[in-house]
Amino acid sequence: MNASAPIAAPAIATEHLTRRFGDLIAVQDVNLRVAPGQFFGFLGPNGAGKSTTIKMLTGLLAPSSGRMQILGIDLTQDSVEVKRQIGVVPEGMALFGRLTGSEYLNFVGRMYGLDRVTAAKRTAELLDFMQLVDQPKALVTDYSHGMQKKLALAAAVIHGPKILFLDEPFEGVDAIASNTLKSMLQNMIARGATIFLTSHVLEIVERLCSHVAIIHRGQLVAQGSLEELRAGVEAQAAAALNAAGAPHEIDSSGPAPGEKLTLEQIFLRIVGGTRRADQELSWLG
Amino acid sequence: MAGLTFSPEIRGQFSAIARVRWQLFINSMRTIRGRMEIVARGFTFLAFGMAGIVGSIGIGFAAWYFIYSGKVDWLPVLLWPVFLFWQLVPVMASAFTENVDSSNLLRFPLSFPSYFLIRIAYGSLDPSTVMGSLWLLGMTVGIAFASPVLFLSAAPVLLLFAVFNILLARMLFTWAERWLARRKSREILGVLFLFMVIGFQFIGPLVRHYGNRSHQPAVSRVFAEGLPIERLLPPGLAGQTIAHSLHGEYASALGSFALLCGYALVVLWLLNLRLRAQYRGENLSEALARTAAPAAAARQQIRLGWSIPGVPGAVSAVLEKEIHYLSRSGPTLFTLVMPVVVLLIFRLSPGKSDGAGGLLGHAADLAFPLGAAYTLLILTNLVYNSFGADAAGVQFYFVSPVRFREILLGKNLTHSLVLVVEMVLVWVGASLMYRPPPWEILLATVTGVFFALVVNLTAGNLFSVYTPKKIDLGALGRQRASQVTALVSLGIQAAVLGLCALAILLARAFHHIWLAAIIFVALAAVAIVIYFLVLKRIDAIALQRREAMIAELCRA
Repeated sequence: MNASAPIAAPAIATEHLTRRFGDLIAVQDVNLRVAPGQFFGFLGPNGAGKSTTIKMLTGLLAPSSGRMQILGIDLTQDSVEVKRQIGVVPEGMALFGRLTGSEYLNFVGRMYGLDRVTAAKRTAELLDFMQLVDQPKALVTDYSHGMQKKLALAAAVIHGPKILFLDEPFEGVDAIASNTLKSMLQNMIARGATIFLTSHVLEIVERLCSHVAIIHRGQLVAQGSLEELRAGVEAQAAAALNAAGAPHEIDSSGPAPGEKLTLEQIFLRIVGGTRRADQELSWLG
Repeated sequence: MAGLTFSPEIRGQFSAIARVRWQLFINSMRTIRGRMEIVARGFTFLAFGMAGIVGSIGIGFAAWYFIYSGKVDWLPVLLWPVFLFWQLVPVMASAFTENVDSSNLLRFPLSFPSYFLIRIAYGSLDPSTVMGSLWLLGMTVGIAFASPVLFLSAAPVLLLFAVFNILLARMLFTWAERWLARRKSREILGVLFLFMVIGFQFIGPLVRHYGNRSHQPAVSRVFAEGLPIERLLPPGLAGQTIAHSLHGEYASALGSFALLCGYALVVLWLLNLRLRAQYRGENLSEALARTAAPAAAARQQIRLGWSIPGVPGAVSAVLEKEIHYLSRSGPTLFTLVMPVVVLLIFRLSPGKSDGAGGLLGHAADLAFPLGAAYTLLILTNLVYNSFGADAAGVQFYFVSPVRFREILLGKNLTHSLVLVVEMVLVWVGASLMYRPPPWEILLATVTGVFFALVVNLTAGNLFSVYTPKKIDLGALGRQRASQVTALVSLGIQAAVLGLCALAILLARAFHHIWLAAIIFVALAAVAIVIYFLVLKRIDAIALQRREAMIAELCRA
């Protein structure tokens, strides 16, 4: 896999980023580079280190070693300035359950330094956009999971961040809201923002993201544009074929003749997660 | 229930449920916190068990006395409290906990009789059921000692009364389940429960008031009119059945017994009706209430956030958020009215000699300082665990561009504001119920409380970061800060109290109480310097502690 071409001031850059939990190395030696304006998908199987990485990049977790720069600013040196430039939807959504939706957004806006009028105005616009105006008096704790997710997303963008970090943003969100969110994110990209998202729904990542990185067992195993990743996987497959002299067994994760590899196929080839279902659980109806 | 057969499949299901509950219990002991929880529960169960046994002996003795002295008609006096306790406590206790989601069981191929039995069995170890059963057992033994012959008729009646209570408690719970599934309903019930607890404090004064000879005719009239109705209700019927048996009025005894059976059957039918509805898929759990269809769409009016002159925007945003939180927490609001209520209870309690002025009758000037000290004590829980109610929201503080010192400043400002309001209320209460405190006591109290507040805020900020504990401001019970924090805060209160006592003793030695105020101001000045030193360091400490804080506060 080729890394992206070097960019003078990357939106996100990490050098040898490592995080240990006792004996467990959750993230090891990760060197990420995300250019400004990229829609970047950060993928990996469960427990690969995605959330740990995103937590380190947003200041929720300290790295054991390595460096992180956001928009050229060292996160450990000037975290407050970095936080002004980013928006985050963390794993736990960071909501305050006993506020109403509008109170929460108003509060978040003011914590990001918006004046009272702007915070109130954007709160109204975001609630309307996210279709959360129906229950003005309901507390956030009484929202459904999907509504909470939409509110967390609204809170992450209220200050107009230059970089948006999203951990599984589409999980539990209905199709209508998901569509609205996607168009909102694409508009943000069109206006020059950078988006860094993790998701298990590879179809969404493939549709939205221009660049992707794959982390597996704490290590970055692939990084680049979708085309670069596809070319890399196909080159590897061709090399393996030449070395063996004959095709191995039929690979179900491969594309149909004349079709391009999907992101799911690329992911499965890189991570090596295919399993022959016909050989297992024979008792299933 | 006719189809109830214990086939191997049903036996397997029952044992699987028992095994999974046992496994959950064992797994809960994997962490220190879990083990402490189990120990605490063990103590609670022991306390309830003791209350059950002691109550059982007391009720047994009373039953023996009523039969022995020919006052068998008084048995309902014992049965009514048992009945009320059995029925009220489980519903009230549900305010403290999330309800068991019965739909979890319905995923499995359970027959309705099995489901019915499991739902009944789920409540069989409730404290109210255990205690109620023990009390009725004690009553049966007491009756048997007084009249062995009467035991033969009393035992089935009391057994039926126990079955009726078990069925009624489950029936009330299943019918109230939909309502209780809503967070707001549980909170309302919780506050009602707390007011009931306060109400108990006024029983003594009220009994004394209405026990006067001037009120006796009215009280007797109420009893006379209420007695026929009471005899038609289950506790009255159970008592009547035993009384008729003792007097040899077997036809009347059978009639009362049949009526009691009728009550039990009606309750059984109602319970069956509700459980059948649930069995068919009517989900009454918490999850459904949360995802219920929204009310009619309403455009919301966005109002501007608070603006406090001289206070930075982020600090006033935190202050506003904290006030919203406190105003929506029934239990917290309840604790905040307690200082005035305590003064009222003191006022209504009998004095040492003539009863005038209540417990503080001879030291009315102390009402304000005592109320103020109590106010400070009840604020400790909030001050020493400032992030407890934020739960997962604490993550926001770490990703926002606001320093922790500003966040804590906002929280401290809120707590100080609450204290000021409380102090004013206590002053008004003390002035109305006793007399306005003399100016030198007022001055010494205000300065003393100010010194204590600064000390507590300083320590509270550190403990909020070092040993946070997730709490739900809307729920009751187990909402305390961590054990470590509780112990240390106790030590700090003792030290502060010691210093205050020393200052007052010194001032008294010079016959000028206002001297204490000067000492307090000096102490507060030192405390303020330490407060700001801690605040300066708090960002670094919070960053260093962020993982532990997030792990504890984001815990499910």
